[in-house]
Amino acid sequence: MATSPNTSTSSGTLTPKKKDESFLEKIGTLARKKKIKEVNELQEEGKNAIESPTSPTLPDIGPEGYQLGEAEERSMIEPHSRENAKLKDLIQVLLDWINDELADHRIIVKDIEEDLFDGQILQKLIEKLANVKVEAPEVTQSEIGQKQKLRVVLDYINRMLQLPPVWNQQKWSVDSVHTKNLVAILHLVVALARHFRAPIRLPENVCVTLLVVQKVDGVLQTRRITEEITSTNDDIGARFERDAFDTLFDHAPDKLNVVKKTLVTFVNKQLMKVNLEVTDLDSQFHDGVYLVMLIGLLEGYFVPLYHFHLTPDTFEQKVHNVTFAFELMQDAGLQKPKARPEDVVNLDLKSTLRVLYNIFTKYKATTSSTSSAVQ
Amino acid sequence: MDDIFSQVREGNAFHVRVWLDNTENDLNQGDDHRFSLLHWASREGRTNIVDMLILRGARINATNLGDDTPLHLAAAHGHRDAVLMLIHNKANINAINEHGNTPLHYACFWGYEQIAEDLVNNGALVNIANKFNDVPLDKCKPYLARMLKDRAIALGQDLSKIPFKDRSWLGYKTRSRDAMLSRHTGIDIRQLQLVGHIASTHSGETWRGTWQDNDIVAKILNVREVTKRITRDFMEEFPRLRIFNHPNVLPVLACCNQPPNLVLISQFMPFGSLYNTLHGESGIVVDQNQALRFAMDITRGMEFLHSMEPMVPNFLLTSKHVMIDEDLAKINIDDPKYQSGEATLNGIDEDLTARINMADYTFSFHEKGKVFSPAWMAPEALQRRPADINTRAADMWSFAILLWELETREVPFAELSSMEVGMKVALEGLRISVPPGISSHMSRLIKICMNEEPGKRPRFDMVIPILEKMKHQ
Repeated sequence: MATSPNTSTSSGTLTPKKKDESFLEKIGTLARKKKIKEVNELQEEGKNAIESPTSPTLPDIGPEGYQLGEAEERSMIEPHSRENAKLKDLIQVLLDWINDELADHRIIVKDIEEDLFDGQILQKLIEKLANVKVEAPEVTQSEIGQKQKLRVVLDYINRMLQLPPVWNQQKWSVDSVHTKNLVAILHLVVALARHFRAPIRLPENVCVTLLVVQKVDGVLQTRRITEEITSTNDDIGARFERDAFDTLFDHAPDKLNVVKKTLVTFVNKQLMKVNLEVTDLDSQFHDGVYLVMLIGLLEGYFVPLYHFHLTPDTFEQKVHNVTFAFELMQDAGLQKPKARPEDVVNLDLKSTLRVLYNIFTKYKATTSSTSSAVQ
Repeated sequence: MDDIFSQVREGNAFHVRVWLDNTENDLNQGDDHRFSLLHWASREGRTNIVDMLILRGARINATNLGDDTPLHLAAAHGHRDAVLMLIHNKANINAINEHGNTPLHYACFWGYEQIAEDLVNNGALVNIANKFNDVPLDKCKPYLARMLKDRAIALGQDLSKIPFKDRSWLGYKTRSRDAMLSRHTGIDIRQLQLVGHIASTHSGETWRGTWQDNDIVAKILNVREVTKRITRDFMEEFPRLRIFNHPNVLPVLACCNQPPNLVLISQFMPFGSLYNTLHGESGIVVDQNQALRFAMDITRGMEFLHSMEPMVPNFLLTSKHVMIDEDLAKINIDDPKYQSGEATLNGIDEDLTARINMADYTFSFHEKGKVFSPAWMAPEALQRRPADINTRAADMWSFAILLWELETREVPFAELSSMEVGMKVALEGLRISVPPGISSHMSRLIKICMNEEPGKRPRFDMVIPILEKMKHQ
């Protein structure tokens, strides 16, 4: 019923190529009755164009591009931008997350565009994430039914995310999601992942190139714009202000190594006591074990081994360890770390460094002169 | 509550036993005139109850408001069995009351010849004068006076009159406890007069102060944030620490549950902890006998805690959690050593007693995931959660470390930090080494108590006879 993936390159925010009746109906509501005939012809033409592999199609613009009213705009993803490795990565991460969340419901999402558009899975997802019950109509095959359901679900989501109506209209809408617009769906899922602090690490700075078509004086004009799907991860919820580490990462990557070296020296001075050594700051702290040890050494206590996983295997065990280490740090009077435990487990260097630096600043003075407080 | 005094008077042993089994009941409490249970039992000649009370650690030399000891009352009422029992348990035989009378004065006055004889045989002085300058011999019939005099001469007593000395200022020290103490649970923090800051440790701050004229220590728990749930848990767990019915357990008297402050109140112990006594600058000399006495006290206290059902969980036995108390009950103020300052004169060698401090219990929400004294913990306790191990056997390991500490006077693994100790004991087989200098019996006992196989360690009730044997060697 929908376009095949190969040809959906032009699906952008186009009107769906559904059953003719519904399509006509919609056009009717758009008050373009005059054009019905013309449209029908065009529709036919477009259909043929897509369905016959031999017929040449206009590369960038879908057939509906022709239907644009004066000064109207349509946008669609540029085909090669879909092949972007980062974008694929992002889609995969999001799919894995959704599948993880919905595993209990025995729901498996394979295609982010094809499986989310009707609101059914979105409803299940939001119910699971927010632990709520969304009163939405049952599954339906009719487009109107699907859209009604989708509207209820999206309204719910928007209220939950506390989005201003304007903003969300720009990023996603009932129509754009229902037409399987990849950009809109991605924006929506990313927003959900951020809001619910999903334990995943989103690839940073994922962009897609959009082709925007506008009809000016009866002529179609195209331009390309870059749409940012994810920015850097620490803008999460815009919860915290930029700190020295952002500056360091952005402006002085060379100094980064100096900082790392200082931290490694500091950390090893403690860990040596229990015959542990850190060589690689980036990866050796992610499972939380060394963090727990470090805090214990600095604060003068032992942590019974049943409180954490000494040799964690799973993601959950690692998150448990890091979360526990964060608790201990707060008990020791340190600020609640800005990073999330999941960030550290996901090998986010900036988060790891922030955590370690925080510890370093508190203890550097005391540890240089005397060893940790004993007894 | 008040009924317990009449139960004792009437000799209702069953009721008294049930009452004593309730941990909240303080067997050293006094009634309105500060008669303790032992006073009443002695006065009424309830020998079985006297026996029971002594066994449970009642203070032998507690005084009432008239400064009478139980021995005074037993002697005055002619209960010979009770008198002998008290004498055998180191009752102060020449204790004087507010009139300056000793038990012998009363035995003579009421004509209890046998008791008078027993007293003299056990060191009662026949020529000690009361306030009215009367000695016991003045109080009795001539033939008894003659007999007692002869006996005293035979025993080598100096028959010159010992003038009355007012020692009432000493009396308050041994008076029975205010019965109200064990009735308080939650109190207002404003009722505490906290005067001196004693220490700040990882677990909290301790202050010295007074509460209802009692010297107390208030421990303010160190908790990051006192949530609703935490105050609820605090209220739920705290009553179990009010264990008044064992002499080797130091109860928590009361608490304040006023977030952000959670406060535990216990009696002030001027000597501090055993750790302090052994390793600090306390100036207290702990000789071999005293060390053995401490070991015995701790064993008795632990044996009692282990007999409770359900057991108080999360109590870690270390020398820091054992407090040192003057064993006032056994101090004999007429003992020459308290006058001459010479410590070796009389047979009394152990004047200090060890008491397990319930205020050092670790609340379920307190110091979660942190162990500050891993050196005292069994390897399995460092690795597995309490529910998964035999905690009684783990306590026995801790006791072995304590014995080692009492013998060597050293801090276990003093040179290592807690994390190092924990990791090395748990995973690398680090153990204390028993130096060759200590007695073979003791070193064998230490080894048995810290058997690597928890199931093979003894129980505390099995350790008592072993220690008793060592004491008599």
